[in-house]
Amino acid sequence: MASFNRSFSRRRFLGGSALAVTAGALGMPFVRTARAQAATFKAGVITSLSGENILGGNLTKQGYDLWAEAINAKGGVEVAGEKFKVDMFYGDDQSNPATGADAAERLIVQNEVDVLFGPYTSGSTIAVQPICQKYQVPMISGSAESPNVWKAKPEFNFGIIPSVDTTSGLSLGVLAKTSNPGAKTVAVISVNEPFSKETGEGFRDGVKAAGLELVAYELVPPEGDLTPVISKIAALKPDVVAVGGHEEILINVVKTSKSLNYRPKALIMHYGITNPAFAQALGADADGVTGVVVWLPTVTYKDDVFGTAKEFSEMATKKLGGEPDYTAAGCAASGLVLGDALKRLGKKPALTPEDRVALKDAIAETDIQTFYGPIKFEKDGPHYHDNVQPVPVLVQIQGGKVVAVGPKEAAAADYIYPLPAWK
Amino acid sequence: MDLFLQTLLNGLLIGGVIATFTIAFQLTFGVLHVIDFAVGGWVVLGGYLGYYVTALLGLDGFVAIPLAFVLFGALGYLIGPVLYNVRNSRTARPELMALALTFGLFTLLRGGMLTAWGFNTRNVTSMLSGESLAVGPVIVPLIRVAAAVFAVAIAGGLFLFLYRTRYGLAIRATAENRHNAALMGVNIRRLSANVYGLYAGITAMAGVLMGAIYSVNPEVGLRYTLFAFFVAVLAGLGSVGGAVVAALMLGVIEAFVSTYVGSSYSLLAIFATLFVVLLASPKGILRRGL
Amino acid sequence: MAAQPMKSRWPGLLLLAVILVVLALMPLLVNNYWLRVATGALMWAGLACSWNMLGGYAGYINFGHSAFFGLGAYVTAFLMNDPFGLPFLATIPAGMMVTAVFAVIIGAPTLRLRGAYFAIATWAFAEVLIQFASAMDFTGGIGGIGLPPYLNERFFYYAMFGTAALTYLVAWALFERSRFGLKVKALRDHEPAAEAMGINTALVKLQTFVLSAVTASVFGAIFAYWVTFINPKSVFGGDITDQMVVMVLLGGLGTLWGPAIGGVTLFVVNRLIWMHWGDTAFYIAILGAAIVLVVLFLPNGIAGLFVRRKANALEKVAEKLIGGGGER
Repeated sequence: MASFNRSFSRRRFLGGSALAVTAGALGMPFVRTARAQAATFKAGVITSLSGENILGGNLTKQGYDLWAEAINAKGGVEVAGEKFKVDMFYGDDQSNPATGADAAERLIVQNEVDVLFGPYTSGSTIAVQPICQKYQVPMISGSAESPNVWKAKPEFNFGIIPSVDTTSGLSLGVLAKTSNPGAKTVAVISVNEPFSKETGEGFRDGVKAAGLELVAYELVPPEGDLTPVISKIAALKPDVVAVGGHEEILINVVKTSKSLNYRPKALIMHYGITNPAFAQALGADADGVTGVVVWLPTVTYKDDVFGTAKEFSEMATKKLGGEPDYTAAGCAASGLVLGDALKRLGKKPALTPEDRVALKDAIAETDIQTFYGPIKFEKDGPHYHDNVQPVPVLVQIQGGKVVAVGPKEAAAADYIYPLPAWK
Repeated sequence: MDLFLQTLLNGLLIGGVIATFTIAFQLTFGVLHVIDFAVGGWVVLGGYLGYYVTALLGLDGFVAIPLAFVLFGALGYLIGPVLYNVRNSRTARPELMALALTFGLFTLLRGGMLTAWGFNTRNVTSMLSGESLAVGPVIVPLIRVAAAVFAVAIAGGLFLFLYRTRYGLAIRATAENRHNAALMGVNIRRLSANVYGLYAGITAMAGVLMGAIYSVNPEVGLRYTLFAFFVAVLAGLGSVGGAVVAALMLGVIEAFVSTYVGSSYSLLAIFATLFVVLLASPKGILRRGL
Repeated sequence: MAAQPMKSRWPGLLLLAVILVVLALMPLLVNNYWLRVATGALMWAGLACSWNMLGGYAGYINFGHSAFFGLGAYVTAFLMNDPFGLPFLATIPAGMMVTAVFAVIIGAPTLRLRGAYFAIATWAFAEVLIQFASAMDFTGGIGGIGLPPYLNERFFYYAMFGTAALTYLVAWALFERSRFGLKVKALRDHEPAAEAMGINTALVKLQTFVLSAVTASVFGAIFAYWVTFINPKSVFGGDITDQMVVMVLLGGLGTLWGPAIGGVTLFVVNRLIWMHWGDTAFYIAILGAAIVLVVLFLPNGIAGLFVRRKANALEKVAEKLIGGGGER
């Protein structure tokens, strides 16, 4: 019994020290967060820095940061003849809408940000919108692509990337026209997760609009194995297989198809294939995969912060270690929208609540040319406050590089169709 | 008919794939009485080792398999005694504390991997990646066959080890009754460390194969944990033979529901099956230990 | 029933009174962000308590408790939207009833299972609900459902506060101060013996299960209305249950105040780490390390540091359990 008591008291001692260490570790950060002195514009970034959407979350963060670095390198945003730098604050939504709302409230109340840059996922974006409304803080979203984001007509939220229903559907029409001999039948694999499913539904609805025939629509759970679905589709022999999914599933679709020795004439995916990690992971097997983008480094647009799309791409490549895709570009362009609106507003930091409402109105009036393309927000309709200007471009991975293949006026290379059998 | 055969094969091979990371999990439960949340973490670690062996050294992914066993087996051997101490501590619910410990380890691994290796999805390439064999109307993906062979080899190897060696006898005795085993001179603490090391090594080897069949990023671990738990319970916790049967059963159900009912119902069917089997046969399908 | 140590009750009651006053005045003391954190902390304290009813007092480890949280959230979301458009308060009893029905249907058969089998059967049930909510259209599918936003942070704070306070009151009255609580603890400590003494264990377990489930559903309902948007993963997800379990273990299993201490501590620590190291994923590693440290150095939970007498009693029970070697 004596030894039992001794071990208990030792445990108590260790427990006490563990608590003390934890408390010390937690106390430390309060020292770190001393406020910077010079007046700056403060922007909050809410995105998925952990959890299942971590890849896209980091792409959005990188995009927003590219703008902040570029504008700060120029001395900051120019307002009434004076330049103010931009301070970025981050909140991880842990790929979870509720945490996204926590992050928004924290950035607005604790960090006193003037404006927010929106989350990667549409779910988080929808959960954050009421918080923006409550505090009257504008939020510019460089990524959220679900049409649901704009349904409730969010007064303070603006979207740079056209909602996916306007792009994935159209792309099949482009594909049908670009392919020779023209594709006729389509099977759609849609991963049952937010965004992926909406992309898949966009493809499904686009089939009819493009005058094609839908032979299968398969909704698969993200944790499921893909062999049964691919075998089933292989037996139906469609010309085109369209996939709505995120990068991990897209990689698995290609690997599983190859391991079953099945290759459709065209394999089209929406988001993710332009991410360098996709071609890197699959190597030569990535060749021939078709994608849909709303921006490419080869487009001819430009602006005075980033220069041409090509210059933007070179700068981003140097910083990120790979070519930027349209998410990073859309997020960087979100910064351009903010910079332009601040300039027109002409108010110095920190913005008052009235200034922020005026900033929202200024953003709504945006009509600018950027390296990303023209940006102008819808004033009504199902895509309220979304920028639906960009047109979808069909791209294909050829020799490990992403090249534009359609429509004709944007094409930089011939579309490889039908794809050869796996070697 | 062709699709039927293909679906059957697909299902059996999914089962083989699931079995690779559940067999050793069962052994660990049998001996340590710990439900290891970190099983998915070991799988992901193995996958990353496979990726780095192929991407940095330019070697075939299969080279990473023995490497994974040595490296993560050693790591598991170090963690084993800690787990044993917690499992056998004088707290109100040591089995829960052990579960919480493995949950903490899993979270620590996940956060560490995200920080160190980033968030991109990685791929393990090997000589069998993407290769297939046509047998009549059925396409046989060779990499999955390799996984199934691996599962059979692990199960067979464990069986021989457990039933044909003195040390195996000690393990079985411990699984059956640790107090009697201890009285017979088995050093349970050291044996537990060995078993946990063996399990971590085997699971990481399976992880290399998972990276080659699917792909790997730090967030996929929970998926493997989920399947390992479910297969283990369906089989009867601690039952190595049952794990193989249960994994095959789940694989075949997933494939057939996917093909003939609708893919969106495949996991619904799996989890519902598990639920019903548990109610009908509360100790798993085989109702016996090791 | 063991004699209660009467002499040392006053300091405890005083502390409780101070805490209640501070909680009641919270909206006046802190800004909206910290009020939001406090709202979340109260929710988790309440959820941890609801899990502890079955897990701590009855000894049945429910790995699918998020199922009931999610049911409450979904019923509220479903009824507040078109075509029903019910007011929020009207949806709560509906959610409680739906949850109770589910809890009886699921609980009656699964409570026959023991230990890990029960844990994983309940987890499977929660996964079935995730898959079901994802595959169906009337639930909004994977895209989730939005609720009409109500931008009143004080309403949500007091809703969570009131519900959490009520939860603890019920837990105290039922499990610490009534014959029912003794029955529940008896079946936890030795189920066959409890049965031999004439306790209808099946009924007592089911009652506890339903109570624990219904409590979680109320928090789910408030959560859905508060966050204004739910999807299958955000309310049924396994990580919600995981958090409750870790909170209870951290605070002290089978104690009244353990879940409150654990829930508040873990949630607030999580938010602090997230605030200060949140721009990388490193905070996940810190969180994992914190859990490992607690298990290794505070195995009886934080409550165990203060309540030695109870810890000792539990340890005796534990010895009995270990003696069985898990083969029961």
